Amino acid sequence: MKPGGLTFHFHKVSDWAWLTGHIGYFWQLSRTHLYIALVSVAIGLLLALLVGCLAARIPTTHPPILAVTTVLYAWPSLAAFAFLLSITGPSDTTVIIPLSAYAFALLVRSVTEGINNVPDDVRIAATAMGYRSMRRLLTIELPAAVPVIIAGLRVATVSSISLATVASLIGVSTLGQLFVAGENTDFLTEIIAGVVIVAMWALVFDGLLLLSGRMLTPWARRVS
Amino acid sequence: MIRFERVTKRYADGTLAVDDLSLECADGEITVLVGTSGCGKTTSLRMINRLVDPTSGTIRVAGKDVTKSDPAELRRTMGYVIQQGGLFPHRTVIDNIAPVPRLLGASRAKARGRAYEMLTLVGLSEPMGKRYPYQLSGGQQQRVGVARALAADPPVLLMDEPFSAVDPVVRSELQQELQRLQAQLHKTIVFVTHDVDEAVKLGDKIAVMQVGGHLVQFDTPERILARPENAFVESFVGTDRGIRWLSFFAAKGLRLHVPATVETTTSAEDARRIAREAGTGWLLALDADRHPLGWLEVATLNGGASIELAGLRSLGHTFKPDDDSLRAALDATVLSPAGVAVAVDDRGVVVGVADHEEVTRAIRAASGRA
Repeated sequence: MKPGGLTFHFHKVSDWAWLTGHIGYFWQLSRTHLYIALVSVAIGLLLALLVGCLAARIPTTHPPILAVTTVLYAWPSLAAFAFLLSITGPSDTTVIIPLSAYAFALLVRSVTEGINNVPDDVRIAATAMGYRSMRRLLTIELPAAVPVIIAGLRVATVSSISLATVASLIGVSTLGQLFVAGENTDFLTEIIAGVVIVAMWALVFDGLLLLSGRMLTPWARRVS
Repeated sequence: MIRFERVTKRYADGTLAVDDLSLECADGEITVLVGTSGCGKTTSLRMINRLVDPTSGTIRVAGKDVTKSDPAELRRTMGYVIQQGGLFPHRTVIDNIAPVPRLLGASRAKARGRAYEMLTLVGLSEPMGKRYPYQLSGGQQQRVGVARALAADPPVLLMDEPFSAVDPVVRSELQQELQRLQAQLHKTIVFVTHDVDEAVKLGDKIAVMQVGGHLVQFDTPERILARPENAFVESFVGTDRGIRWLSFFAAKGLRLHVPATVETTTSAEDARRIAREAGTGWLLALDADRHPLGWLEVATLNGGASIELAGLRSLGHTFKPDDDSLRAALDATVLSPAGVAVAVDDRGVVVGVADHEEVTRAIRAASGRA
């Protein structure tokens, strides 16, 4: 990054020819970008389901788990990158680890909240029918928590797609590369292209999750 | 048989929920636990399927101490119905009914087949099976709750205020439905309610409980209404317990009279003549099939006006001598503008009438026998 921060000289504000000539490049950056963002969310979700279920099963673990996830979420991402750079180098892993941690911190709350929101009479009915607690958790409480988990997943996915831009600062070429390069060459079109493409992907995946959520939970009462 | 043997439940905070309860719930009967909130009736019920374990004492089901059984396995042999339904929101009606057979090892196909049978049994149509709980009315949800409890054909059914959250009309329907099912299935049912009318209507035996988990009286509904053990039971069953008691006497014993009747086509002239000959001021108006339409007050017929112009007064309601009780007959006389209750058969055809004097005579005769 140039000293003195971001200052632009608008000598080439809009350059459509440049845009159309770089579609392949955008696609290549997008692939790395989405790979990093989505793998992070997937890892975060998996961990959140495991830990969230633990918190639901053993209530005493709930407060410490929430405390840890809050700290995790408050951790500045650049500090995390700098620290990991010394261990894993400028690789995808260096980016995926902190992004997974953010997704996890967000999602663990969704999972515990979703499970805790299952009405007590549903839980009691399941117990009284002869469900043992593990089966009850996996086949009743967790499925009933899906709408809340999907809501959390949408937030986590959008923020992960947005955060993955930062990877370009440590040399991993995500869509953030367009900001870095555009800034270095005072080329506003490239920066705007980066913003628009990131926002577009965020909207696409948010929409996909919204739709798949609707298909997964035809039973949820809709506020039409 | 379910036996409570000196069962006490004291919670960690010292609250005494159930105090030295001894009780026998006979096989194939409905035992109702009734009392105000905090009397320990729900706790007592939940100790049967071990949602709560007693502090001391023993509960035996078919002779076996329940605390010696694995809780999950024990519960699969007992249907459980609760007030809010407790249906699984993410499963269709059929998949809400099927779980206990599944837990007992039935294949998915077999459990679903059984669930469809249950659906019909509780009076719901097959297409209803594909709906989700949020698409059902409160009454329908409770029916699904009952179907679910019956799915594995358990000998014991535990019902915790199952009909308290629905409106009075639906509640009465569900109560009748339970009576119909019980006549067919003969389950050993323990039923918790705070509603005395419901207890009297459904119970073969009623256990009246008092705050602090005391059992005050355990008896048949007739005897609880006729001879309350103490002032608590007397006030709990209410001031109109005499009227409620009448619901145990069949209206069959009434000697019905033949009423003076008119049809809507009868002229005012003829109506006056019929009334004069019968020596009454009220005529029962019938349609062509002898279904009752209402009462005609002869005094309101002025001049040559037709019967329709004079207008009919409402019947109040009718009663069926073969099915209803003296309570229903008395109610019908009180509500009738003529002071005369109209008896009809299953097709709604008038079979006779009973006036205040006749109902009073029947009550005297019935209570003399009791």
